[in-house]
Amino acid sequence: MSYRLPIGPYHPALEEPYKLDLTCEGETVRAVELHVGFNFRAIEYLAERRNYIQVIALVERICGICSNVHTLSFCQAVEQLTGIEPPERALYLRVILAELERLHSHVLWAGIAAKLMGFKTMFMGCFAIRESVMDVLETISGNRVNYAMNCIGGVNHDLADPAQVLSAVSEIERAITHTIVPIFTQDRTVQSRCAGVGVLTREQAIAYGVVGPTARASGLPQDTRRAAPYAAYDRLQFNVPVESAGDVRARLVVRALEILESCRILRQALKQLPSGPLRGPAFVEVPAGTAISRIEGPRGEVFYSVTSDGSDVPYRVRVRTPTFANMPSVRPMLLNADLADAPLIQASIDPCYSCTDR
Amino acid sequence: MTGLQAISLTLGVSSDWREEHGSWWLAAPGLDARALAQVMLTQQARFVTITAVEQHEGFRMDYHWDLDGTLLTFILATESNRIASIADLCLAADWAEREIHDYFAITFAGRTSEPLMLRADDKPGINLRPGRPPQ
Repeated sequence: MSYRLPIGPYHPALEEPYKLDLTCEGETVRAVELHVGFNFRAIEYLAERRNYIQVIALVERICGICSNVHTLSFCQAVEQLTGIEPPERALYLRVILAELERLHSHVLWAGIAAKLMGFKTMFMGCFAIRESVMDVLETISGNRVNYAMNCIGGVNHDLADPAQVLSAVSEIERAITHTIVPIFTQDRTVQSRCAGVGVLTREQAIAYGVVGPTARASGLPQDTRRAAPYAAYDRLQFNVPVESAGDVRARLVVRALEILESCRILRQALKQLPSGPLRGPAFVEVPAGTAISRIEGPRGEVFYSVTSDGSDVPYRVRVRTPTFANMPSVRPMLLNADLADAPLIQASIDPCYSCTDR
Repeated sequence: MTGLQAISLTLGVSSDWREEHGSWWLAAPGLDARALAQVMLTQQARFVTITAVEQHEGFRMDYHWDLDGTLLTFILATESNRIASIADLCLAADWAEREIHDYFAITFAGRTSEPLMLRADDKPGINLRPGRPPQ
């Protein structure tokens, strides 16, 4: 005999509002309904009623973790429309912020995943490392969450002492190499808890159009930094970790390895950081037209389409966030799974409902 | 013949591809969204999203697909505020269609149901458009 189990909308696993309606037989999930929209703030509507400068501050507040990806995506789209090219130093600084944000996001997620596995010591360790990453972000931007880094044509903040940041990144990398990476990739308890759980096959990943680490853990080697490089990524060497199992463990491993790749990118960018101005010429007007910007956020591809009618207010701003693309794939992950695995499975895509709902 | 030309030929679209900042655009206002989806899925392209842009009459509907890392945008249009649903062909389009229905009250014809993403008891089209009464 089946029964329905509503989970949420308040804090089903993460501290964000969404709802799962599960139909179970015994301890097995047989049907899944997903409900989002509890955090809807009409960001797109608001963006079409503010000028281009104000929209930067608005979209930065879409997400409390990956705020930088939103300003970067929006500014890149407007730069396409205006024809402004940011100077080299700004492009490298954009990479540095983007990778620090990825580091911060992945380490935060690692802590939450550990907590959901019942590994609370690991949770505390991850959050301690995350504090160090946020200290670096604060050193560069003066802010811990909304960095106000990007402007149209460049960046707002300079990096006075790259060597200091490089030293901090090395410390963070050492800590991660001794904790998150070996535990997530080799620990037998983690493997037994996560292997074979919440599988998304390669075919399902293609059908659902998933992005980012969720796609790469199902064998799809897609990464916007590699496929359509932006900022200074085409001058930097990095690997795109891909796993084929499509389970929770594969998603753990991909993110753990991506943390190391982020450190590798940061080292290169900090060492190669060119001198020069932080921003290009100020824009006078935004010509009519539509521009699209895509970047690889911590959770996957972020998509912005910005349409201008020639005025100082965008005519249309479309935002497609990674969790919006990934969340429907939780349904096949949960089907026939153990009920007790449901929180860990849905958390394994690193969902962000603040981004999803906008 | 390039791959892009082959796609437009298969779709029967006579307009030319336009490249801007690494993205490719094809204006095809009369094109059937389902025919487009079938061709793109055959090409193993990844559905990215749909952007609805309000025009003087109706909506411009930009269908964005990723083909081996290259973004392709097909510019379609609604007719009487309707356009064919592709959600049964392309699972990835389900939420995009639902959200656009919520935002603009655009009907995606052919869906077996049109569940709302936001507040199931509310009417669609209330969320983004000024002057567009709930339907």
